[in-house]
Amino acid sequence: MSYLLSILSLKVLFPLLLSMAFGVFVGAMPGLTATMAVALIIPLTYYMEPLTGLAMVIGVSFTAIFAGDIPATFLRIPGTPASGAAVLDGFEMNKKGKGALALTLDLFCSALGGLIGVLILIFTAPPLAEVALKFTHFEYFWLGVFGLSMAAVLSRGNTIKGLLSALFGLLISTIGIDVTTGYPRFTFGITELMDGVSFIPAMIGLFGISEVLKRLSFRESLDLPSVKINGKLDVLEALKLMYRNKFIIIRSSLIGTFIGALPGAGADIAAWVAYGAEKSLSGNEIGSGSPRGVIAPTSANNAAIGGTWIPALALGIPGDSITAIVLGAMLMYGLKPGPLIFAQSKDLVYQIFAVALLVQIMLLPVGWLGIKAFSRLVSLRAGVVMSAVVLFSMVGSYAIRNSVFDIWLMALFGLLGYVMEKINMPLAPMVLALILGRMIEDNLRIGLIKSGGSIIPFLTRPISLILFSLIVLTLLGPSIWKVVRKLKD
Amino acid sequence: MKKLLWVVVLAVMGFTWVFTLSAWAAYPEKAVTVICPWGAGGGTDRLARFLADELSKKFGQPFTVVNKTGGGGAVGHAAGAYAPPDGYTITIVTLELATMHWMGLTDLTYEAFDYIAQVNEDAAGVTVKADAPWKNLKELLDDIKANPGKLLFSGVAAGGIWDLARIGMLHAAGLPVDSVKWIPSTTGAAQALTELLGGHVHVVTCSLAEAAPYIKSGQARALAVMADERLPAFPDVPTLKELGINWSAGTWRGVGVPKGTPAEIKKKLEDAIIEIANSEAFKKFMETNGFGIKVRRGEEFRKFVEEQDKAWKTVLELGGYLKK
Repeated sequence: MSYLLSILSLKVLFPLLLSMAFGVFVGAMPGLTATMAVALIIPLTYYMEPLTGLAMVIGVSFTAIFAGDIPATFLRIPGTPASGAAVLDGFEMNKKGKGALALTLDLFCSALGGLIGVLILIFTAPPLAEVALKFTHFEYFWLGVFGLSMAAVLSRGNTIKGLLSALFGLLISTIGIDVTTGYPRFTFGITELMDGVSFIPAMIGLFGISEVLKRLSFRESLDLPSVKINGKLDVLEALKLMYRNKFIIIRSSLIGTFIGALPGAGADIAAWVAYGAEKSLSGNEIGSGSPRGVIAPTSANNAAIGGTWIPALALGIPGDSITAIVLGAMLMYGLKPGPLIFAQSKDLVYQIFAVALLVQIMLLPVGWLGIKAFSRLVSLRAGVVMSAVVLFSMVGSYAIRNSVFDIWLMALFGLLGYVMEKINMPLAPMVLALILGRMIEDNLRIGLIKSGGSIIPFLTRPISLILFSLIVLTLLGPSIWKVVRKLKD
Repeated sequence: MKKLLWVVVLAVMGFTWVFTLSAWAAYPEKAVTVICPWGAGGGTDRLARFLADELSKKFGQPFTVVNKTGGGGAVGHAAGAYAPPDGYTITIVTLELATMHWMGLTDLTYEAFDYIAQVNEDAAGVTVKADAPWKNLKELLDDIKANPGKLLFSGVAAGGIWDLARIGMLHAAGLPVDSVKWIPSTTGAAQALTELLGGHVHVVTCSLAEAAPYIKSGQARALAVMADERLPAFPDVPTLKELGINWSAGTWRGVGVPKGTPAEIKKKLEDAIIEIANSEAFKKFMETNGFGIKVRRGEEFRKFVEEQDKAWKTVLELGGYLKK
């Protein structure tokens, strides 16, 4: 309690509020990521006290991951990579005129998911970090495969086209330098492709630009407002839905926190796994504008932020790219993240916890203002909004690494997404394969180097075995269940 | 008529000369771009931002850092090398400039740059987990000799600097380079150190600066450093040379400009960077970041890069990374 009071001073709260406002902006702008926001803020914080600096980083990261879901819902463009999964049902709800409800759910679930993640961080950081350390290439391989198996779940009812979409994504993910040999593959001498196809421009193109192209095919719709907003958030309805689906929130937040705590996986994968878990458990209604399809990924991605701090504080190991920057900054402040930080800088650690809790509460008003501002913008004429979307998609694709090449890449993926939707091929499996393809391949091949070419460790290590069994259960579970029921009859 | 033409030509030449001179004298009269070939928030980025800040103060014009990443450093270095040679684009050049063209990743070589100054050098280390069985480097090397192919080394992707440092060390110690396995790390030292702490690899050869937080917290131990002399921050860690292995390796960072940049501008920049590198603020910045300071002036820096370019070719060939 005294720690909570100690952070309630103007020199912490004012910068925190500023950073959260900045986070809304960065998160809602496609292409500007939470990681970039943190990298921009860190140099400023060298002139501040460590607590103020860390408060700003915490404020901006939680807010940006939430705000990434705003354009995902209104415009079908994920504001940050972590909002990829939130696009699907959020945008469908918006099309049905329930955009405000989707965003209210998003805001509350982000805050609640964040809160659960932070509580797990506070109470179980050291032991959970030890579990995360047990993960190595063998386990990350199965985690990737588990994530990818969601592609099958996501394309239920349209299996052939869904799997084709996933395979195409996997093919694209093989572009770039092969880390095990240092040799470039499928780059055709283009330097910009050495690190592979940039994921963010690809996602902006696939989801955002393809939607703009689709709208362009109906000229008359461009004169209408792009979003119908009734002006107020559906608080009561959202709370009712959340109460009814409380277990989904808890399950998604647990999944999110745990995946966030793994140094090899972050908020984007967390959101997809939570979404996929929800879809495989509650059936086909997810994907066509179900509130549950909004609740699961938005709880998970904010919970993952708390998760990423677990190995960072307990072991000094970054849980994602944001905590990697934070660890560098902590050294600058003269702090030593790792097992000793709880003894040496106990006050500061508890103050960090207090700030993280406070951010979840402050997220409600700040996020509400963000939604308000954004819905004002997008309720202009669709023609105006769509032009702005194209402009911001270009800026965002360029900004990620200051590369004109990425703008062309984004445009190409926009065209691809448009064509794929025309022929009824789902986009989500391809995005999933783009995120996970590299992770699966690298971990498989590096694992095989480690084991001298043997696949035994992939099956005999305890955590590997558990993950493998989970995959088998997810894929074969429904069929086995059917057989069992038949035998009973 | 002819005379008049001559007068005009001479006058124009004269004016041009005067104006260019005064332009040099006034450099910089607009914002300068500082290209960082690596991502925001990393070590090179932090150094770039510090230098840019100090240069802005010194010259009264903004020096803005632009991260041009990709291609293992190739994209940023190329952007810096092929910018107009007018002093308004400077680049933080890193060791990869001397290795990536040998691997066939780019056509760009060190010769595309003029060199202003080097400011940093971080030696590779030999770091093991705190509870590892080897007390010193000799025990580790004996183990490798007795059980070739058993131990797992990591630090960076295949063909990256810490892989090359490992290859050079084994070669200098008279061991075959494939007597240990290299486990590529996709995100550099951070992932390799995570694997080390988890007990999934045995040795990490990243810089001692990168391993420092874990060594200081007692989670890891350094058996040796691949430097010519012991590092001030680690006085107890012996060099390979002390142990009879003639090998040192590490990364370095400095400032370069496109070839053909006017000498006056280069001189101005060199003087400014050297002044910054001698300042207390710089020493403090490098210390808190765990970076090693190594200052070489322009010409000396160019010679050093030239030597590096030759030295790494041999090591890349040993590792089978040289593109024929």
